[in-house]
Amino acid sequence: MNIQEFQANLFSAALASGFTDVEIYYEKKEVFGCQIFKGEIDQYEIAEDGGVSFRGIFNGKMGYAYTEKIDDASIPFLLDNAKENTLIINDEDSEEIFSGSSHYEHGNFFSTALNEITIPEKIQFIKDVERELLALDPRIVATDYCMIRTESVSRSLSNNKGLSLSDEMNYLYAIVEAIVKDGEETKTSFEFTVSKDFHNLNAKEIAKKAAEEALSQLGSKNIESKEYPVLLRNDAAASLLATYSSNFSAENTQAGISSLKDKLGSQIANQKITIVDDPFLEDGLATRTFDSEGVATKKLTLVESGVLQSLLHNQKTAKKEQAETTGHAHKDSYKSAVKVGPSNLYIEPSELSFEDLLATMGEGILITSLSGLHSGANTVSGDFSLAASGFYVADGKVQYPVNLMTIAGNYYQLLQDVEEIGSDLTFPLSPIGSPSVLVKSLSVTVE
Amino acid sequence: MLSQSLIEDVLTAALSTGGDFSEIFVEDRFTNNFTLQSGKIETCLSGRDFGIGIRVFKGLQSVYAYTTDHSKEGLLKAAKNAAQAISGKSIIQLAPFVHESVENIHPIHLNPQEVDKSRKASIMKNAYDTAKNYHSSISQVTVRYMDEEQNVLIANSEGKFAEDKRVRSRLAIQAVAVRDNQMETGFHGPGAHQGFEFFENLNIDHYANEAARIAVTMLDASPCPSGKFPVIIDNEFGGVIFHEACGHGLEATAVAKDNSVFANRIGEKVAPSIVTYIDDGTIQNEWGSINMDDEGEKARKNVLIENGILKGYLIDKFNSRRMGMESTGSGRRQSFRFAPTSRMTNTYIAPGTSTPEEIIANTEHGIYTKYMGGGQVNPATGDYNFTVMEAYEVKNGKLGKPLKGATLIGNGPKTLQLVDMVGNNLGHGAGMCGSLSGSIPVNVGQPTIRVSEITVGGTKGE
Repeated sequence: MNIQEFQANLFSAALASGFTDVEIYYEKKEVFGCQIFKGEIDQYEIAEDGGVSFRGIFNGKMGYAYTEKIDDASIPFLLDNAKENTLIINDEDSEEIFSGSSHYEHGNFFSTALNEITIPEKIQFIKDVERELLALDPRIVATDYCMIRTESVSRSLSNNKGLSLSDEMNYLYAIVEAIVKDGEETKTSFEFTVSKDFHNLNAKEIAKKAAEEALSQLGSKNIESKEYPVLLRNDAAASLLATYSSNFSAENTQAGISSLKDKLGSQIANQKITIVDDPFLEDGLATRTFDSEGVATKKLTLVESGVLQSLLHNQKTAKKEQAETTGHAHKDSYKSAVKVGPSNLYIEPSELSFEDLLATMGEGILITSLSGLHSGANTVSGDFSLAASGFYVADGKVQYPVNLMTIAGNYYQLLQDVEEIGSDLTFPLSPIGSPSVLVKSLSVTVE
Repeated sequence: MLSQSLIEDVLTAALSTGGDFSEIFVEDRFTNNFTLQSGKIETCLSGRDFGIGIRVFKGLQSVYAYTTDHSKEGLLKAAKNAAQAISGKSIIQLAPFVHESVENIHPIHLNPQEVDKSRKASIMKNAYDTAKNYHSSISQVTVRYMDEEQNVLIANSEGKFAEDKRVRSRLAIQAVAVRDNQMETGFHGPGAHQGFEFFENLNIDHYANEAARIAVTMLDASPCPSGKFPVIIDNEFGGVIFHEACGHGLEATAVAKDNSVFANRIGEKVAPSIVTYIDDGTIQNEWGSINMDDEGEKARKNVLIENGILKGYLIDKFNSRRMGMESTGSGRRQSFRFAPTSRMTNTYIAPGTSTPEEIIANTEHGIYTKYMGGGQVNPATGDYNFTVMEAYEVKNGKLGKPLKGATLIGNGPKTLQLVDMVGNNLGHGAGMCGSLSGSIPVNVGQPTIRVSEITVGGTKGE
């Protein structure tokens, strides 16, 4: 059964059974992934994926349901569940089906050239990455993951108010995790690349970066546990920002679980910090022309020179504050409810090179990766205590790797304590990006 | 869910280019996810996940295709896509199906899909009211309700044809306490491989009060000191430390490629003799329990470490080829979107002889962790980290003031060697575990244990 036919049948059955406004959201995805281990194909994945969600107003309340089985039998399933769900929802701030924005920017997120790259070409590329990597140094013993993946995603949203939108995007990424061993010491590194320009990818370069990252960690030493100035490398800084990005959601401030509540217009960060959200960012992983309610998206400045300028809103949160939606209604997929979420959100880079930042810090700790973010960072209070890897820096130069550490502090304090921002903006396989960030001090404990 | 002849066609198409094994996994899952916040039920999500995963092996090559298109053409296309990754001539034929009746060892009395949603709502409201009324400083309570019915059919070219129904129920309560500019949270999330009777028999007030109590207690907590300390870890969810520190390193995913610190060490002493570590998918109605794994292998009890000696690993069908060892019924996956791999079920440290009181009384100076947060491990290095939700200082054999902001870091195999007391109060806690084959329900468990030294990263200097 095709989706147009399904939609027509669903809408007429819904309106006949008492729904007043109705919407269907449809997602379709094509996936290819391949993982190499010691020159052979270890895992190979190919998929056609997708599903629909239905939203409809029944007795003034919004009901939801979704299905991945698109057939006539699913129609009563969707309608019955959506209807029953409206009976137990008791949120007086009701959601609405949107009639449309006046203008939608065109987005060019789909590369036909990328779509034409053949599976054997992709496999050869990732085999090359592994071969180059293993040849670089005898201490490189294996890869944990060495994989390539492409995805194309198309989305469409239609409702009975005449709105009918769609967009599509595709991307490719390659990941390699190198394992290096020297005597008793084992270290790993994680290197990735995201691109639409397959022919400009360089297997040797990716392999070299992964090797250098892993090898540089060997020979780690103990240092005194105390407060140090900390330089968060771009990828580590981005992962921390990603963890705290939900605090920019008006849904969280309204629920009282974000410390940015009532902070509009206040200085929440050092004046060197500007944070923007750009749904049209080139090669961004969360590019979109319309949000999950069908509202046109546009670039938004959240923090300008340290001052909180805007939160992220959908229609419902905006209505509560007599504001306009910012086009940040978000659902992870057709399985989710409409919440609020960023598109491509990042700290704007400055002019300073990474070396400049090291020189400015003089003595301190360079943090290159953080782990335990899902549990060690309290998104409500801002407190964090995270496992970290990195290097001791003295005289403005990296000296040696440090044993496993934890760094602890408070994210809101950290934003105030930022001393410099680098020029090296990166998006570590994520729609949330950052340049390297130099922080006055954090508490560092070394194992 | 699909006709037997269509399944045969799909398995045969998957083998058409020389694969030596093919498998089909059909999943039809019904879920309800509700969220209550600020006293109101804000989100009600109900849905049906339906899709098919097709897997082909040739030697040590594994190919996986999945699709939500359940038409005959869609399925045959997916099977052919998978077969395309292999080049050669068909070498084997399907063995005739042997229909297995999988014994249901986790009785379900009331299927949640047949329960009126208003009864689910009232359970959420009870939890909310109890937690909200615990103390005036509780500013926000979020209650999540989840139930699911997952129907699976697994058939393969070796003649396996098995079906199973898994029903799971879970309630998660998060409380936020506020005083001045300080916000603290407490959490409890009990769950079971059980029907709606789970909620009816659950002491909801107990869990709601505990979530609120943790948040309120942490308002008065001092910053945790940093340094190396003896650490006492309470039972139940405390077991997350060994889930991270050694459970993941015992999964074939890491062991088969020699990427685990535990690889090639069967028979070696990897822990003190008071440590026995077990993964048991057969415990009745536990959250991580299964009747059969996602490759159709019967659930079993696997002793991984016995009296300190490494006895075995958790092995799935594909890795069993690389390792030359039998599958242990540990092939699990989040959904049809993932090829299965070796995963834990209910993993725990077996009880010892000390009482929890003795363990505390025998500790002169250290940290007692009552509730753990989550954690993470790098199986290649064994380095782990995890956070403590509720901790206390231990001084002269007695519990002292509450501490906040503690993170424990270390190396799994080393920490395992430092376990010096094991309590007699085994308990289990429910969690979700994320790895290669997605996010799956698991239990972690242990009695109260003591580790003679762990590095604690706190917010206060030494």
